[in-house]
Amino acid sequence: MGKPEVKRDYTLGERLYLVEIVKGLGITWKHFMKNFRASLQKGPHTVPTCWQYPWDKREISPIFRGEHMLLLDEEGREKCVACGMCQRVCPAKCITIKRGKVKEGEEAKYAGKTYCASFEIDLLRCIFCGLCEEACNKGAIVLGQGYELADFSRQACVADKKRLIGNFLRAKEEGRLKPKRPPVPVAGAKDAKAAGPQKAKSAGGGQGKGLKRGV
Amino acid sequence: MEAWGVALIKVVFIWAWTLIIATLMTWVERRGSAMIQDRLGPNVCGPFGILQPLADGIKLFTKEDIVPEKAKKILFALGPIMFALPAFSAYAVIPFGDKIVIGGKEIILQVADVNIGFLYIMAIGAMSVYGIVVGGWGSNNKFSILGGLRSTAQLISYEVPFGLALLSVVIIYGTFSLREIVLHQQGTFLGFLPNWGIFKQPLGFILFIVTAYCEANRVPFDLPEAESEIVAGYHTEYGSMRLGLYLFGEYVNMYTLSALMVTLYFGGWHIPYIDMSKFLGPVAYGIASFLVFFLKTCFFLWLFVWVRWTVPRFRYDQVMSLGWKSLIPLALLNLFITAFLVQLTI
Repeated sequence: MGKPEVKRDYTLGERLYLVEIVKGLGITWKHFMKNFRASLQKGPHTVPTCWQYPWDKREISPIFRGEHMLLLDEEGREKCVACGMCQRVCPAKCITIKRGKVKEGEEAKYAGKTYCASFEIDLLRCIFCGLCEEACNKGAIVLGQGYELADFSRQACVADKKRLIGNFLRAKEEGRLKPKRPPVPVAGAKDAKAAGPQKAKSAGGGQGKGLKRGV
Repeated sequence: MEAWGVALIKVVFIWAWTLIIATLMTWVERRGSAMIQDRLGPNVCGPFGILQPLADGIKLFTKEDIVPEKAKKILFALGPIMFALPAFSAYAVIPFGDKIVIGGKEIILQVADVNIGFLYIMAIGAMSVYGIVVGGWGSNNKFSILGGLRSTAQLISYEVPFGLALLSVVIIYGTFSLREIVLHQQGTFLGFLPNWGIFKQPLGFILFIVTAYCEANRVPFDLPEAESEIVAGYHTEYGSMRLGLYLFGEYVNMYTLSALMVTLYFGGWHIPYIDMSKFLGPVAYGIASFLVFFLKTCFFLWLFVWVRWTVPRFRYDQVMSLGWKSLIPLALLNLFITAFLVQLTI
């Protein structure tokens, strides 16, 4: 602590202090006028540094980890086979799955031989680490972009299967699905190593991260 | 003597007016600070967020009133009252306009034109420090008591130059009545300057405005409530409307001090070079003088906000050395020069 070290002596104007205060007032006045004029304009996001949240939402990354979705394949069948890998890997233990066997006549509904009879994610426990997505063999569970998860009761914060599939359908409609990830290269395999980086380049910036983790 | 009814109307009017200005100032402060810091501030309640003070008021009134278990109950309750009451009563002697003639009766736009208005302001202004000290002591909290102690130490270092700066004004005008001081400021000075106190007392004005910031506990002298050092200072333990009274009293103090600056140094309700009473009717003149006075006050209110978001807080010892080593010698020098010049001209 103490006085800041200054090589030269303070000039009289600096020691008087009032002149410097007036200079400072000039700087703050410039900021004030700039933002004052901006705030008079119509529409959200008039002040460039300020996001007026409920009306003015920030764009989020395509690999954002938000509320989960349960994916359907191209024929509209549920991808999940209820293997329980996500349940096992989840560090917060927020996933509860009940497995059911696909009966005859239901093949159009489910992709595998088994399916999840119920699939619950306790969003209050979830830490959005994304391990469930990594663990899933079928690519059935993916973390989406929804982040407005507040609700009035604890029960409302437990996402059931219907809500998770709904998330997927909505994201698909709005074109907010994640770009496909390049396959994780296996160490030692020659062709996979060579192919990996090229694919990553073509897939875009956000994908580099996932790739690195795999290597 | 005026009729009691007229006096009562004036009291109620100026009380309500001060309340409205103080509430609006909280909004101005928040939005102004936001704009200065590249934010937007409260803009949801009503047009431009102007109803935000109302929402804040409702919040403060409906909050639970918590009194700490080990607080000194009586002092704890007394603190905010002792802070807010002087703040409100100080405005009584400030002339907020010239005069208005209604139904053949001449009404002076001032609650009480006492011939010692000056001393009244000084006495009442120093009183509000008791509210801070008592509240800080009664809270039984180390940060609160630090805030109270700082306030006391700050008081003795700024109240002397504050009084000396005001004394030079008294020497020039030869009166303690604030209304007469404003009346003296009509016309021109040296032929081309408006006859305002600031041109006769430039050094005195600088001393006054610095000590006024001390008196109002505003940045750069907000040591008693320095958030980054002692949590919230004297009102750390306060909540609900008790806290509201403290915050409110601060803005009322600001309003009174701004009005005092206009009265003493910026010619009250006078517009330079123009005598409004010559071409305006008696009623219109009364209203115009009130508005001119109010606009001038608004500028100084805004200056309080503006300076707050520009200047960092002084350190504790810096305030002491500023008060004792710079302001008091300067104020004495100013007093001597003024007395000398006045003696020469008489």
